Amino acid sequence: MRNRSAFIGRLLAVILAFAGSAAISPQGMAADPAIRVGMIPDAGATQVSIEQKAPLRDHLAKATGLNVELIIPTNYNATVEALGNGSLDFAYLGGLTYVIAHEKYGVVPMVQRESDLQFHSLFITQTGSSIKSLADLKGKNFAYGDIVSTSGHLMPYAALTKAGIDSDKDMKSRYTGSHPATAKAVESGTVDAGAMDESVYQAMIADGSLDKSRVRVFYTTPPFLDYVWVARKDVSAAARQKFEAAFLALQKGRDDKVLEILRGTKFIRANDALYNDLRKIAKELKLF
Amino acid sequence: MNAALALIAGFFPPDLGLSYLGAAVGPVLQTMGMAMGGMLIAIVVGLPLAMIIGSRVRGARVLYGALTGIRAVPDLTLAILCVVVFGLGPAAGMLALAIFYTAMVGKVFADLFMAADPRPIEALYATGASRISVSIFGLVPLAVKDLLSLGCYSLECAVRAAVIVGAVGGGGLGTELVGTLNGFQFHRAATIIIILILLVGSIDSLSWILRRAPKFVFMLLPLGLVSLWVYRPQFFAFGHAVSTIGAMFPPQLPSSAVGEIPRLIGETILIAAGGTAFAVVAAIPLGICSARNIVPNGVASAVRLALETLRAVPEVVWGLILVTVVGVGPVAGVFALAIHTAGVLGKLYAESFENVECDAVHAIEATGAGKLATVLFAIIPLGSGAAAINTLFRFEWNLRAATVVGMIGAGGIGQALYNAQQLFFYNQMMAYVLITWGIVLFAEWLSTLTRRRYGWMSAI
Repeated sequence: MRNRSAFIGRLLAVILAFAGSAAISPQGMAADPAIRVGMIPDAGATQVSIEQKAPLRDHLAKATGLNVELIIPTNYNATVEALGNGSLDFAYLGGLTYVIAHEKYGVVPMVQRESDLQFHSLFITQTGSSIKSLADLKGKNFAYGDIVSTSGHLMPYAALTKAGIDSDKDMKSRYTGSHPATAKAVESGTVDAGAMDESVYQAMIADGSLDKSRVRVFYTTPPFLDYVWVARKDVSAAARQKFEAAFLALQKGRDDKVLEILRGTKFIRANDALYNDLRKIAKELKLF
Repeated sequence: MNAALALIAGFFPPDLGLSYLGAAVGPVLQTMGMAMGGMLIAIVVGLPLAMIIGSRVRGARVLYGALTGIRAVPDLTLAILCVVVFGLGPAAGMLALAIFYTAMVGKVFADLFMAADPRPIEALYATGASRISVSIFGLVPLAVKDLLSLGCYSLECAVRAAVIVGAVGGGGLGTELVGTLNGFQFHRAATIIIILILLVGSIDSLSWILRRAPKFVFMLLPLGLVSLWVYRPQFFAFGHAVSTIGAMFPPQLPSSAVGEIPRLIGETILIAAGGTAFAVVAAIPLGICSARNIVPNGVASAVRLALETLRAVPEVVWGLILVTVVGVGPVAGVFALAIHTAGVLGKLYAESFENVECDAVHAIEATGAGKLATVLFAIIPLGSGAAAINTLFRFEWNLRAATVVGMIGAGGIGQALYNAQQLFFYNQMMAYVLITWGIVLFAEWLSTLTRRRYGWMSAI
């Protein structure tokens, strides 16, 4: 008898767990989204949970009058391939991913943050470390972000090359896969130094997830062009304009919730020709 | 040590606020849906394949080799391929799981059928029965309980895999988990981990029920069908798929990368071996302390809960959590694998000890041996054969997992594969996939050889 009730108890629990999921499943998906928007994992929105991404989605839906589905894969590669095969209409890409996606699939640049024109990578180390300049990095353990990240790999790598350091031979370099992971690896001292996106660094210092008494910046790269919002090649000009307008209309003071997710203050139109420098560097370093 | 404690403390208290739990419902459904839909395909396709292999027809060996081959492709890479073909979204994740678990179900069930008693099958053939009826009336009934518990085990693995694989397609618990970890919202990551533990626990219960009442397995069918329908691919990019996959051939590596291969292979094997070794060291005491025939029920339950926690969190996620304590590199990979594997092996060891035949134990007890002596001289030695097979299987598994933790900078072939993929150097990526394939095939061959040498039966 006891066995029987144990059996029924477990059965009920399992039915709840499984039937519950299947029964509500259809509501878990957005109904026929008109536009699908993707963001590379570098972007601000991946660093907050789904609940906190809602303001961005709502803003885009309201401004364009379209049903928006926001998709954030954990992978740069999947984002670009999805633009290539048409399963994403718009996406937020980093400088290097943009250059690759433009060449491979002809994606159209639309808008970017004003700060993306003058973007910097930061080289950081522990407060008490003896590292003062790029030259001190020889023989040290070093953390990059993702290999295809502009501010987490390409530009810091280029800066090191310019300073006469061969990152592959003179240092022990690893890829952490993300800016926050790089920051934490440096903070905890598990690597001697690392390079990361300045806007992620500032956001982490501001919200306390990085302890400013334990890390310091010892080198800032020259400015470069970074993140950009793009449209798939075949998206209509009308849809593109609506989408661009949604970003250009963002105002500090009024749309702070959305701007905070995007880690920016003002959006401007993007221009492909400005990426030529980045293309050249990426080609030289054989990352493109 | 302080860093480790601070890290653990950061997860408490979990965010159990209604608003967050509400926001997590969607991702939970998506992950479960992907796993259930993927498993339905895997069973519908994999079971007949296993029966073909099990009925020992000609060509079965080739099929078996092909299944092993598919399992050698890291599931993350499969997910990318599915995104290329089916677009971004849960469908890609579900189909990646379907392919991976078709191969797993096919191989594991085939092993099971081949280990089954051959006499009833020969008898059926002797009656003039066709191959199909031999399979259906001979093979399946022989192994129904094992099929069910292995099926449930595969479903559990699929749920965990759906977390990581699904995230590639941009959905489910994985996006949420990776997002909260990257944002250092550990309170919320803790919530997701608790949800995962509950999901894995409910599958354990399911397995318990099905072993007693197999007919309830049909209860899962409608759920699988609904999931399949909801997450069906709504998109199919044939031209894009042909050109992208075409770009992967011929597999090619620049000469500078060729020289690195031995070091990378060494690193991968070290990560897998190190992860398994540490796991064994931890799992032996944990397994003993959770075997109900060795320790009191209360202690066993408490330890089991701890094991479940270790097991519910996928290797890569442990890696993401550990980056602040052990940094990036092979050491992080070793610990990521070790923690998850300790959870898996601890549970399997406990089961091996609990399944020890009573006669032998009673015989020792009858000599007047105390509890400690019984445990030391009967339960542990008798259970260690099964424990050894599980360890061997887990080492093979970890060779594959070692390539997946490459994603978080653990190094080895996996990291090289991931980097080539991220930079769209697809012919290099394919070269690394083939190398991984070689490593896994070699390990399987070695493991089969060892099992035969010692006369161990096949295990999960």
